[in-house]
Amino acid sequence: MLFLLFSIGALFAQQKRAVDFIGGARSMMSNNRILVTDSFPDTLTTKRNTGGYALIDLGVNIKPNKNTEILGMFRIRNQYGGFWGSGVSFDVRQLWLKGVIANVVRYQVGDLNLKQTPFTLYNHHADKLDSLPAIFNFQNQIISYEKFYLNNTWRQQGVNLDFGLKFSKYLKEADFDGYLTRLLATDFAKVPDRLMGGFTVNILQSKNFGFGYNNFSVFDVKGTIIDSNRYRNLVNTFSFIYKTQIKNKPLEIKAEAGRSLSETTENITASSMQDYFIHAYTEFKLPKQHLNLSLGYLNVGPDFRSIGAQSKNVNYNATPEFYNRYGNAQSSRPLSVMDIIRNDNLYTTSVNSNLMVTSPIYNNILPYGIATFNRVGAYLKAKFDNQKGITCNATHNNLSEIRGQGTFALKKFTQTKVNAALEINKIISTKRSFKIQAGLDLQSTMRKSQVEVEHVKLNTLIMTVGLEYELFSNIDILLGTINVNNKGNDFSDSRNAYSVVDYLTNVNYDLHQQITAFGIRCRFSDRIYLCGNYQYSNYNDKLNLNPQYKLNQFAITYNMTF
Amino acid sequence: MKNITIAVFCLLLLNACRKDNSKFDGPSIQDLYSNFKLIDNFKCDKDSVSFAAGEVSHFTASFNKAVKWQISITGTTSKAQKIITGQSKTIDANNGTWNGSTTVFPIFGVENCIAKLTVEGVTDSFLLPIKIRSTKVNNGLVIADFENGFNSAWTKFAQSGANMDFNVKADTYAPQGAKYLNMAGTVNWDWCIGYIDFPATAYSASNTLALATNPDAVFFNCLIYGVPNTNSSLVLFQFKEDENADGIFNAANEDEYDYQIDVNWSGWKLVTIKYSDVTSMVNGQPVTPKGNSQHNPNKIGKISMYHLANKDNGFASCKIDYLIFTSSPIEP
Repeated sequence: MLFLLFSIGALFAQQKRAVDFIGGARSMMSNNRILVTDSFPDTLTTKRNTGGYALIDLGVNIKPNKNTEILGMFRIRNQYGGFWGSGVSFDVRQLWLKGVIANVVRYQVGDLNLKQTPFTLYNHHADKLDSLPAIFNFQNQIISYEKFYLNNTWRQQGVNLDFGLKFSKYLKEADFDGYLTRLLATDFAKVPDRLMGGFTVNILQSKNFGFGYNNFSVFDVKGTIIDSNRYRNLVNTFSFIYKTQIKNKPLEIKAEAGRSLSETTENITASSMQDYFIHAYTEFKLPKQHLNLSLGYLNVGPDFRSIGAQSKNVNYNATPEFYNRYGNAQSSRPLSVMDIIRNDNLYTTSVNSNLMVTSPIYNNILPYGIATFNRVGAYLKAKFDNQKGITCNATHNNLSEIRGQGTFALKKFTQTKVNAALEINKIISTKRSFKIQAGLDLQSTMRKSQVEVEHVKLNTLIMTVGLEYELFSNIDILLGTINVNNKGNDFSDSRNAYSVVDYLTNVNYDLHQQITAFGIRCRFSDRIYLCGNYQYSNYNDKLNLNPQYKLNQFAITYNMTF
Repeated sequence: MKNITIAVFCLLLLNACRKDNSKFDGPSIQDLYSNFKLIDNFKCDKDSVSFAAGEVSHFTASFNKAVKWQISITGTTSKAQKIITGQSKTIDANNGTWNGSTTVFPIFGVENCIAKLTVEGVTDSFLLPIKIRSTKVNNGLVIADFENGFNSAWTKFAQSGANMDFNVKADTYAPQGAKYLNMAGTVNWDWCIGYIDFPATAYSASNTLALATNPDAVFFNCLIYGVPNTNSSLVLFQFKEDENADGIFNAANEDEYDYQIDVNWSGWKLVTIKYSDVTSMVNGQPVTPKGNSQHNPNKIGKISMYHLANKDNGFASCKIDYLIFTSSPIEP
């Protein structure tokens, strides 16, 4: 294979055509241990687990002419101890072709990284812990690489076209962007061909004013299965941006509003859902104070459905990579914060047509990001960056339900997040990197009712602290800890296939999770590192709904991209 | 531009108060999780009722939340039972009315009854006495209730097998009145154990039954008792239409419609079928009728009732009573 690739490279080199090799390589080896505390000693779970893998992603980027670019990337992956065929896999990881037609229209076919607006097509990463210490962040970045999480895009396969126009009068410029992808492939029996398409038109009227129209739709292709019942989700939104100044200080007003329709054509039991949303915010910059302030208003209807914006990247129904059963009862092991940080098999790559399960443990305020339906309220954000090593971000959300769940009483949601980082090397002007960071996320869900059984009170506190110190040149010491605490109760909704609530379960929480890690990292370059780390986590359910367990891990990770 | 901004913010302010108080999502939490309380006691609007005079009984009660409830009315003498079920916060005339009909046979007689209200998940039950002064009357053409034994106009055939019994009985099994027909025996050479022909002439001077012409408005009903641990019986009804009303059914050019019942239950069960739903069959397989191919209940000249059973499986037994045509499904 390598010979073939190099031959292709040589061939194109002779023809003065650009051929680049890109990709990455990684090796990870880990030793894991589980300790279960239960009323009966756990004699059934294998306590230790050792394993790992090595992989290489090798891509060929070919530019046969100035208007065309092709990328094909293969992955060879080998489980440790799996030579001679067993445990070895060979996959196509990326395949796309892009170019320009008549120097006007850009196109891409194959793999696409797509994003529109936060209410049409957007990967919100709603449960991602803010301000992850570096010792955890590098593990999370591996997941992002594996799942193609680039900013807030979703990975799809299809075709993408875009072009722009410039005007001499009335309008400054207009940009058009459209795509069509295949979400589901038919099995010719029950699963239809389901396509996802959309387009965006952004018009810049002047340097201070612009507006846009966004369309997103998911639909089943008629005739791809015998059943004539078809699903459709349609979202149309308008957005605008207006820039002005108050006393020479820049002020931006941005807003987006739109409607959604979600329906199955021939289902009389699930009526179609239609609703609207409004999201507007203003951003005020105080350059001298190094401060950005935002004040936002959010109103997302209870029946607003946009699967492109309401798909979660964490699948809480997935089983963890190891120790998925534990205790003498061999019950399913509840996911811990360690799984969320490092298990890439919990993460999804694509938009999901069904409303995905949420986890109140990590995010009960906006579980589907800012596109979460049934929320109305305001938020305030502040960003401070003095460019001298001190940064601080703070957010406060004050929201409420629009329609009650199982009662007319409405839940109130408040959330306060503060993340701060100190780059001490910049403050005291030393060469070697020295960074301390801390984060706090305080969530509260409340519902008061005249009927006691309807009361809800759930408090969540997530704290992160991290340290990164360059002990020797390019050799760092990393430390970090995360605490997740949940106490109280909330009603968990179970929904049918049409996302209609059919049952509400009162769930009580008194859960404490902690993960602490330390390690040493050797940076060979910006793109290559070797890291050894030890992390131990504790999952303690004080209500004993699940047995308490500790999960410890020692891992060595080598990672490079090229 | 200022105006646009002001307009947008006004729109936002209007929407700031958006609340949807017209409904809530999902089932009521109060219904799911609060403790049960009886708000209004379990009552009946009458302590005695004459169903023959067209009277009905209304039960009432109300609860603090929607519950699954059941009212079972039991005859103290007959042990007949009527069961009414529902899921609601209240019991009233819409969902708690008794017209004298029976769910578990025998049919109610003139007797004292006890009505019992039970609620799912609640250990307490609530009782009421009620007296039946006269029983419900079912309007229709009775083909056979066996109260007067065998009608001489009927034709009976029974094989000469072992333990044969094709006789009218009068014992505590009777689901309606005092008598019923017992059909039992072992016939190891034929599926047919016995049959009875009910000619139209047994009920009127005409050669056909006095039924409505619309087959959708004619229902055939009977009560059949399945005897546990015996060879499963088949009861086959043949409705033979004498289309030219000459008093003779000609199988070559007149319609015959059939209804075969697999008696695979134990105890008495009400069987009801609309006449337009019966089909022509030969050996259990659908065939095209030989006559005008139209369901003409008013041209039925004869009904043949067969007791069949698999000849290889030994002794078969079932009981039958109250063969009646009605204009709607019967509630005996």
